[in-house]
Amino acid sequence: MSSSPTEPETASTLVDVTMPQMGVSVAEGTVVAWRFEIGDRIQADETICEISTDKIDTEVPSPVGGVLAEILVPVDTTVEVGTPLARIAVSGDVQPSGEPAPDAGPPASSDAAPPPSPEAVTPPTSVTPESGASGNGSPLAPARAASSRRYSPVVQRIAAEHNVDLEAVPGTGRGGRVRKQDVLGFIESGGAQAQEEPPMHIESPYRPDPAPAAQAGGQLSRMRRQIGEHMKRSLEVSATCTTWIEADMSRVETARKRLGVTALAFVARASIDALREFPALNSWMEGERYTQHSDVNLGIAVSLGDDGLIVPVIHKAHELSVEGLAARIRELARRARSRQLTPDEVRGGTFTITNPGQYGSIMATPIINQPQVAILDFEAVIKRAVVVTDDQGSDSIAIRPMTIFGLSWDHRALDGALSAQFLASVKRRLEDLTP
Amino acid sequence: MATDIAKAAESSDSGGSDVALVGEPSAHLTLDDRVWLLRAMLMMRGVEERAMTLYRQGKVPGSFYDGYGQEAVSAGAAFAMAPQDRLCILHRDLAAHIIRGVTPARILSQYLGREAGITAGRDGNVHFGDRHLGCVGMVSMLPDMMLVATGMAMAFKLRSEPRVALTWFGDGSTSRGDFHEAVNWAGVQKLPVIFILENNQYAYSTPLDKQFAVDPVKRAEAYGLVGVTVDGNDAEAMFEATRVGRERALAGQGPTLIEAVTMRMHGHAAHDDMKYVPKEQVEEWRKRDPIERQEARLRSLGVDVEAVRTEVRADIDAAAEEALAGPMPDPGSAVSGVFCEGEAEPLGDGQAPWSGFARPEASS
Amino acid sequence: MTTLTYLQAISSALRDEMRRDERVLMMGEDIGVFGGAFKVTDGLIDEFGADRVMDTPLAESGIIGTAIGAAVVGLRPVCEMQFSDFISCGFDQLVNVAGKMHYRQGLAVPITVRLPSGGGFSGGPFHSQNPEAWFMHSPGIKVVAPSTAEDAKGLLHAAIHDPNPVCYMEHKHLYRRVKGEVPDGVFETPFSARVARPGQDLVVITYGAMVHTALEATAELEDASIEVLDLRSLVPLDEEAILDSVARCSKVVVVDEANFTCAAGAQVAALIAEKGFEHLDGPVVRVATPDVPIPFSPPLEQAILPSVDRIREACRELLAY
Repeated sequence: MSSSPTEPETASTLVDVTMPQMGVSVAEGTVVAWRFEIGDRIQADETICEISTDKIDTEVPSPVGGVLAEILVPVDTTVEVGTPLARIAVSGDVQPSGEPAPDAGPPASSDAAPPPSPEAVTPPTSVTPESGASGNGSPLAPARAASSRRYSPVVQRIAAEHNVDLEAVPGTGRGGRVRKQDVLGFIESGGAQAQEEPPMHIESPYRPDPAPAAQAGGQLSRMRRQIGEHMKRSLEVSATCTTWIEADMSRVETARKRLGVTALAFVARASIDALREFPALNSWMEGERYTQHSDVNLGIAVSLGDDGLIVPVIHKAHELSVEGLAARIRELARRARSRQLTPDEVRGGTFTITNPGQYGSIMATPIINQPQVAILDFEAVIKRAVVVTDDQGSDSIAIRPMTIFGLSWDHRALDGALSAQFLASVKRRLEDLTP
Repeated sequence: MATDIAKAAESSDSGGSDVALVGEPSAHLTLDDRVWLLRAMLMMRGVEERAMTLYRQGKVPGSFYDGYGQEAVSAGAAFAMAPQDRLCILHRDLAAHIIRGVTPARILSQYLGREAGITAGRDGNVHFGDRHLGCVGMVSMLPDMMLVATGMAMAFKLRSEPRVALTWFGDGSTSRGDFHEAVNWAGVQKLPVIFILENNQYAYSTPLDKQFAVDPVKRAEAYGLVGVTVDGNDAEAMFEATRVGRERALAGQGPTLIEAVTMRMHGHAAHDDMKYVPKEQVEEWRKRDPIERQEARLRSLGVDVEAVRTEVRADIDAAAEEALAGPMPDPGSAVSGVFCEGEAEPLGDGQAPWSGFARPEASS
Repeated sequence: MTTLTYLQAISSALRDEMRRDERVLMMGEDIGVFGGAFKVTDGLIDEFGADRVMDTPLAESGIIGTAIGAAVVGLRPVCEMQFSDFISCGFDQLVNVAGKMHYRQGLAVPITVRLPSGGGFSGGPFHSQNPEAWFMHSPGIKVVAPSTAEDAKGLLHAAIHDPNPVCYMEHKHLYRRVKGEVPDGVFETPFSARVARPGQDLVVITYGAMVHTALEATAELEDASIEVLDLRSLVPLDEEAILDSVARCSKVVVVDEANFTCAAGAQVAALIAEKGFEHLDGPVVRVATPDVPIPFSPPLEQAILPSVDRIREACRELLAY
């Protein structure tokens, strides 16, 4: 113990003698007499001092044997329970009894997530409830009308998800209050501006419950909790299935080296083309409502390391070339990792690609990014021995860079045949790539 | 054996405490048994003294209670109990835990609030019972365990099992309703249960004359129990009275109330300096120390008492070292185990070192 | 399937348990020869004998305390409090000994305490109470409260099989008023909530006798689709079912027959405020008995117990909000 490299000179350790707790309610005690002087040798359990509390007078036995090094509390001084009264120098070969390290301290809390800031819990629309308003009397008292009207949590949430300007929604509740059925009816009748301004899924006003405190491992970060909630909700609402297909990436490998871009850009382009071919996968399911989109707003999952992941969206991705896609992916990933994404850059996705293959994993079952209906997983490209058939129809074994694409899709929106056709389309587009 | 039962029954007939079993060495103890009793008492005192030192050093949280001077009450009574018998042990009865087989390291871990304590830090100091050894831990509402012991005895009787339940309680406990409900119930149903009234003169600071107008052992007859008064500072007398009570219980003759007259030599807890107790009273009782008494008895029989002491001291030193080295409980475990998730597992059997249990049951 | 009253369903569960498991015994005041104050145990002593249908001394602490002792050495006692009000005399044993036993020393206490509860028949301040919330606040005790004959049987079987102390709240008002098809033999009803009637505009969350009051109050509410959620179990509380109803309906009325403050419904309301906020389209409204002892005289008692009219009015108000 004494030869620890961090304390080369110290041949002895100082052990505190503390004011004991003599009874549950006792908070302090007074030193009545010291039995030893500084420099005296003292045995373990020998009385070192006498104390007096409002319940009892008693003696304090020394916790260790050693030399009395310091007296910290003089006679007739009253101190709180737990206060060090004296320090005893224990010679190098004597150990104080096997207590846990005194400086272990409370569990570190510095890295726990701070409580959400006020902005963070404000719904990201213009319909923020008027602040400070609090009705008196009956909870059912009429809400105030017109411009100062307040909205219930569920109404605000629906409005935020559908980008509804609540001021434009006629209210049929007491005093013209907008009720849940009012806002739902408004959306149904086409009042929402959903097409122009798609919902912002990453920043839903929903905030998960704080994780229970003091569990081992500390609190999850806010982002971690949000991701968890989002993923769990997806599995709850969607009938998620996963279909796999294997693709030969030989031509992609050649082409990407030539262009100096990642394989992901080719996969993105092939997926966009396949989505144009099968637009049923480029759509949203919101409750019972199914919407097909003509634009492909392509989400690309970007890992933020330990913090989690985020899905920036390439809007109108169908208008971009492979090189253009590669540049946009690079740019969005950089901005994501430096936390510079704007809310517009994470909302409105219609289809998502996730690409965690850099570690060599070959298959996964991704979770659908709601309210989209499908997500494509692109893992590692690995050289494998495969059977190839030449133009004459004869088979041979060749070494080819292969990958396995996994498509998780929502069985509420489509069926397995369609997902298989979509994957076949992606595969064909990659394998038939014109060099 | 038959005479003992008759003797106890006679004591019932003649009105509770009039016939007392006082201070006689028991004819049912071998020399080894007698040494066992001494060892249990020495272990109890030594563990409690060590725990008190740790308490003063700030290592034992909360309050601290001990049974200094009362060691014979729990040692003698628990020694008479068989493995399949069941015990509800109170806070000045540490020797009972020791006899049932709880190791001193686990007891010290319990005081220290460590993971290795019997309750793994969920309850403190003497609030424990090792369910694997046939013991139920007490609660702070003191006569409560009298009803639990009565219920165990009720189950034994319903299933015609030859087993006995035993619990201790204090003079203060006799004032609460559960005392009445338990002795009445046990009397009505004639249950195989032994109640040991640990009359240590004070309930915290309240003396006997403020607790009851009639000695509780005299109430026994009114409830249909046999009541006896025993010198609570004589482990062998405690053993003998309990053994007789147990034989009565097994013979279907119902409950026994044993009043063990003793003295609480320390404060109610470590924070109590006992200023309310006359010094002469303490001095008088100091002369009747149960450990010294058993040592004197053994010395006259040629036993090397010092060797026993040395052995016990070494055990406690090792136990303290082990307990202090053990970890505190994981804070994450604080919210688990409120409910039983699997099958309810009943109490297990404890140790029973008395040589009488090793012999074939020919004696009865 | 057999048609049984709520009371017959309880008796049937007791009889079936006593037949299938010799560890089960019943303890209580006047439950043997007399058959119980409400005749729940009528005739059982003839089949099972006085040892297993035990007439105990008049001692509630004694009943709970000895049941604990019997349970820890292997029996499965079912205790009857003659009226749930009397559990106050056995409170200490239940809360301090039984409730804390497993947490402290890993020793399970499999006892069931039957608590005939509730008012509505001029029982007065000591024969009408709904004390379930006392035990919800005490760790280590499960609390269930059936509203139908089927659940009365199934929950009692589950309570007796459970390795923990279970308070079984049987509502006196339902004993002979509620009848239903009950599966034959031993079956367990899980300690979770049940949708008594599905709906989508508003949910009334309640348990016990108030389930029937709520169903009647909301049967014909103009054009609205009202859900009624029967909690059945208060500990554990079925949070998922509650939040699911709230998400669907967005408006909530919570009904307790118990006194208002800190009732089971207060916990439900707190849960919704904490975890269902996003789904609310109006304040959570509570209907409960005001914080007064239950009075004896019928006009007084009817004035305080939640009635069909009070619940209907609360729903109307909230629907219009």
